[in-house]
Amino acid sequence: MESLTGWWDDFFWGSLIVVEVFLVSLVLMVLFGLLGSAAKLSNSKILQKIANGYTIIFRGTPEILVLLLFYFGSAITLTAIANIFDPSIKFIDINPFWAGSIAIGLVVGSYATETFRGAFLGVDPGQIEAARALGISNFKTFVYIRIPAMWRLALPPFGNHMLSLIKDTALISVIGLQETMFVAEQATANTGEPFVMYLMVGVIYLSFSTIITLSVMGFEKYGNKHLEVGK
Amino acid sequence: MNFDFSLIISSIPQLLEGLGLTLQLWFISGILGLLLAIALMLMRISGKWFLYAPAMIYIYIFRGTPILVQLFIIYHGLPQVEFIRESFLWVVLREPFGCGILALTLNTGAYVSEILRGGVNGVPKGLGEAGAALGLSKVQRFIYITTPLAVRLAIPAYSNDVISLMKSTALVSTITLLDMMGIARIIVSETYAPYEIFISLMIIYLVITWGTQKAFALFERRMSRHIIQ
Amino acid sequence: MNLANTEPRTVISLQNVDKYFGEFHALKKINLTVAKGERIVICGPSGSGKSTLIRCINRLEQHNSGNIIVDGHELTDQVKDIDAVRREVGMVFQNFNLFPHLTIVENLMLAPRLVRKTARDEARKHAMKLLERVRIPEQADKYPSQLSGGQQQRVAIARALCMNPAIMLFDEPTSALDPEMINEVLEVMTDLAKEGMTMICVTHEMGFARSVADTVVFMDAGEIVERNTPEEFFNNPQQQRTQTFLKQILSH
Repeated sequence: MESLTGWWDDFFWGSLIVVEVFLVSLVLMVLFGLLGSAAKLSNSKILQKIANGYTIIFRGTPEILVLLLFYFGSAITLTAIANIFDPSIKFIDINPFWAGSIAIGLVVGSYATETFRGAFLGVDPGQIEAARALGISNFKTFVYIRIPAMWRLALPPFGNHMLSLIKDTALISVIGLQETMFVAEQATANTGEPFVMYLMVGVIYLSFSTIITLSVMGFEKYGNKHLEVGK
Repeated sequence: MNFDFSLIISSIPQLLEGLGLTLQLWFISGILGLLLAIALMLMRISGKWFLYAPAMIYIYIFRGTPILVQLFIIYHGLPQVEFIRESFLWVVLREPFGCGILALTLNTGAYVSEILRGGVNGVPKGLGEAGAALGLSKVQRFIYITTPLAVRLAIPAYSNDVISLMKSTALVSTITLLDMMGIARIIVSETYAPYEIFISLMIIYLVITWGTQKAFALFERRMSRHIIQ
Repeated sequence: MNLANTEPRTVISLQNVDKYFGEFHALKKINLTVAKGERIVICGPSGSGKSTLIRCINRLEQHNSGNIIVDGHELTDQVKDIDAVRREVGMVFQNFNLFPHLTIVENLMLAPRLVRKTARDEARKHAMKLLERVRIPEQADKYPSQLSGGQQQRVAIARALCMNPAIMLFDEPTSALDPEMINEVLEVMTDLAKEGMTMICVTHEMGFARSVADTVVFMDAGEIVERNTPEEFFNNPQQQRTQTFLKQILSH
């Protein structure tokens, strides 16, 4: 344990970056998931095709491949664009934070697409009919009936998507983001203690996973309050 | 910047040289992981705390941490521990291939055990009771009633996990192994054509995913003959 | 023709049986004896403990105190005895519980083949005979999901008979059925009764109770409130709770 002395700060800042990536990619994941499911449920054949292509590609290829493609791909694309204006620019370095957040947001968003779509379709049509029969407007039916019912269906898989996001942040060290894996690598180089350092990373991630799991459980309990059998 | 289509075509054969390693990692850890998962699942449903508590802790840890971290602890960390270097495990851990297999097996075992448990729990309780009422023993009920129905219930989730495992094999490129991903990274560093190379690789992975899904769909249909209506 | 009178051998006896589900006292000091060939109908409001009672007889539920003796075996934690008893006692469930992954005839063959190690051909022959008895031999090679509820329940009765049990337990066998299918199941049960099978039947079919039962038992709140012959039970109920129950159930 004494080999960790001097590295606590670095692990702390590394963890903070994990949290930041998680939050950014969470927003993106929800966004891509909603857009994807809306497209799949739309009447437009083209939108459906695009959304199907999106989920097939991002669910079928390794995360690390998407990440590297994004990182290196966007770097050369941006360099090429910059060269149009200023040919003297040799290379634009892409911020691994954004490349990484967008990549894992896209990947997990493709899973969220299916979750949201399933939750949408999973709402009992009888509930919608009942609301219609009561003369409640389409919009109000959507807000007060469909969304709450969807939310309950989507929450458990949504929790799993959040766990995927937090764990995928570890991959971004591969493109040089200075999160906990990166810290462990440097600490290993300095101390020659890889076992302790990577175990430390494991403990950090396990704590994050636990926090997410407990929050989701709390939300589920809150969301299903009315379903509890009275005594 | 120009997009070189011919590079896509010409790089695919090079990438496929890593296919053998990808498939080996996938199949070996898939089978070992399934065996581990069955053991963990049986421990989980045993009803004996000294069996299910360790299984739960194991599953919790391996599902709660990134597989990349698990891989690095095994590859970089474990060789540092003296008694492991002196034990039989060293035969496996000395080679990055062994480390890759071990990490993938331990990881997928945790996920699949939960899938199997979901299948077992999904079998209606009344069917087990009907078996009991006929005088079938606990083991007979598990083999002839619970298992065939649980397998059927678990296939969709299991097929997703098999695909996940295939995708995870790409991570071994971070521990010097030259699977398809590892080869792609080398070619990219030489040609600096990330789009062409990585898109070619994507196509290969997508074909494997597609084939796997088709195979499982076929298997599921076979297993569902009894649900005709 | 009351076989119980000609051959008054006790095959089931419950003495002071108590059963709790957590805090809930499901069975309170139950005493009941069943003679060989006797047909008992148990009725009572939902939650009165009638299903729990018959589920204790083949130990799908474990009683907490008192003694249950079935065909000479005391029901305890000894697993060997339990499986032996269960082979002597057939059970029919409210929700049929047919094995969905097996065909009809395979449902009937499973237990004889596994438990009695009966040869395949012989097991099939026996199964077909039973399917004829419940009048659906033509469905033998279909899967349960292809049959109507009434047909499924008749298969379930045949399956319970496949181990040649001495006693049959019926747990609300017609409650999950559409009205037009109830009769075909009751007819099969009546046939069984005529053949001298010892039967304990939890049901609300009062017509069946009147015409088939030797004894009607009324349960409420975990207790046996009244036990009588059908004539006495329906025409001259002794207890207030029985009268209330009968009034409710016969009024529609």
